[in-house]
Amino acid sequence: MGIILKGISKSYDGQAVLKNLNLKINQGEFHVLLGPSGNGKTTALSVMAGLVNPDSGSVFIGGGEVTSLSPDKRNIGFVFQDHALFPHLQVFDNIAYGLRVRGIKEKKIKKIVAHYLELVRLQDMYNKYPFQLSGGQKQRIAIARALAFKPDALLMDEPLSHLDALECERIRDELKRIQAATRVTTCYVTHDHSEASALADRISVLHKGRIEQIERPEEIFYHPKTDFVAKFVGADNILEARLVEINGNTTIFSLNSLGLTDQLKIKARTYPVFARNTKHRLCLHPEKIVVSHTPKGKNNFLARIIDIVPQGAVFKIIGEIVGLSGLKLRAVVPKTAFKINSNTEKIWFSFPPDALHPLCGRSCRAAIPQRACNNINLFK
Amino acid sequence: MKNFSFNLIISFIAAIFVCLIVLPMLALFTTTSFVELVSQFRSPMILSAVLISLETSLTVVFLALCLGIPVAYLLAMKNFKGKEIIDTLVDLPISMPPLVAGLALLILLGGNSTFGRLLSNHGISLIFSKKGIIAAQLFVSIPFLIKSTRDAFESINKDIINASSTLGASEFYTFKTILLPMAKNGIYTGMIMTWSRALGEFGATSMVAGCIPFKTETMTVAIYQNAMSGELTASIAIAILLLIFSFTLLLVFKSRVRVKAG
Repeated sequence: MGIILKGISKSYDGQAVLKNLNLKINQGEFHVLLGPSGNGKTTALSVMAGLVNPDSGSVFIGGGEVTSLSPDKRNIGFVFQDHALFPHLQVFDNIAYGLRVRGIKEKKIKKIVAHYLELVRLQDMYNKYPFQLSGGQKQRIAIARALAFKPDALLMDEPLSHLDALECERIRDELKRIQAATRVTTCYVTHDHSEASALADRISVLHKGRIEQIERPEEIFYHPKTDFVAKFVGADNILEARLVEINGNTTIFSLNSLGLTDQLKIKARTYPVFARNTKHRLCLHPEKIVVSHTPKGKNNFLARIIDIVPQGAVFKIIGEIVGLSGLKLRAVVPKTAFKINSNTEKIWFSFPPDALHPLCGRSCRAAIPQRACNNINLFK
Repeated sequence: MKNFSFNLIISFIAAIFVCLIVLPMLALFTTTSFVELVSQFRSPMILSAVLISLETSLTVVFLALCLGIPVAYLLAMKNFKGKEIIDTLVDLPISMPPLVAGLALLILLGGNSTFGRLLSNHGISLIFSKKGIIAAQLFVSIPFLIKSTRDAFESINKDIINASSTLGASEFYTFKTILLPMAKNGIYTGMIMTWSRALGEFGATSMVAGCIPFKTETMTVAIYQNAMSGELTASIAIAILLLIFSFTLLLVFKSRVRVKAG
């Protein structure tokens, strides 16, 4: 059951968009395809729906192969980016559309539509036309329409991208609630990692038509497997380091491999993949760096502030490590937690050994699951 | 100051355009007295021409709907080899002089051609008959319906069509419940343009059906015939009737579209 893509490849004008894509979405799972625009997310979703035929590979939905079936034979619900409600039909008729196609009797249709209008909390809107609804209401009707005929899978193509931040957050919560209530297998496409983390049971990160990593949200965010995943989810401090010494639970790295003139050593937690004199790429989340006027951790760097970017309730501070030109770190701190006096001020960037992770995903730390990052709790 | 000059020039050009449309019509209305016109409207020859024109042009609109909508759907929704050729063929009657169209139809439908003989063997005679008028009017006017309907189909967001498909609808069900209702205004526009073109058709019609009073004489043919034989008042009466038809129809259509859009 669920959705399975086996070896899906697709090219447009000789340009490969999907390259041997393999994906298994479990029955009842809320799965998010995450990645930047132009990396094959929508094409993958369209292949699942039958709106695009793959060059090779197979698609299975609800236990049966559907590769050669047209969209109308696949029993899937699809929610489009721009909702795609039928403008000449009232809300009731929009939701009833898929039911009427299936020849369900009008009396039963009335009951089903009423149920789904209640599910999306728009009971009073049944006789409105789409142009009379707000963006969020339209998306909720589109969701109700896609679910009303009990599809084997619900596919959603960036359904929140046209909504304002407040509406987006509201619909996101609604969506999670509706999916939990219906337990329909869901595949959701987005380029927004915070949206993905809020919704997903598991996330697949797509890059250049391939899946770079499939994990639970917390794994993706705190244990990215590749540079691309790390940068895409905002863990954009990547340090290339040479392992100097393993001392029980603590490992000491040298950052000489960056080509820096001065020695710089950092302490990290020991992972099973670490071996003496090996090089590693370590990921450091900006949120885990403490910015202060005095050193506060086991790894402390004095940094010259290069830029401060306000981002809602936080500042993103970009600092260059003093004496080691070329090494820049990015930290994210709450606006209330740190007072910035001027852009040229020198400050301390501190972080604990736990904050550093080798870029190898879950596999490299499989032997020590109890050492999972403390911040995982943030996603629960 | 520059804006003032610009607006003045634009207004002047617009005034020239209005004169270009209004003056010939005024000339029609002012040449003959109202009493003379009313007496002409009662003439059996004019009444016959009006009825023949209405009968043939409305039949053409019906036939154009039956033939044009499927062709428009094909051109708007499908990709196939030779699509460009069909697309060009649809445009051809618009750019072709009506007399050339009439001549081509006359040769095709006449007794000397294989097709003409085939029709004749089945008891169908199009030359010098109302059926010939319909054939000629359909030939020159159907492209307007096809183009307008195709544009209307093409303007529908592809996601809406895909949404219908993912909801389980077949292509025909989508065509019936989504495409046709959403392309309605484009189809109406095409119908009006087709009807206007058919009603005003002269060259091809006279070539194929001739100018037989009470049989194949349409309003436009009657205008020409009367003007050539010195019956200018009769010509003017029919011309005024044609103008009234066209103006009323356009007005009704525009107000309907405005109400829908509002």
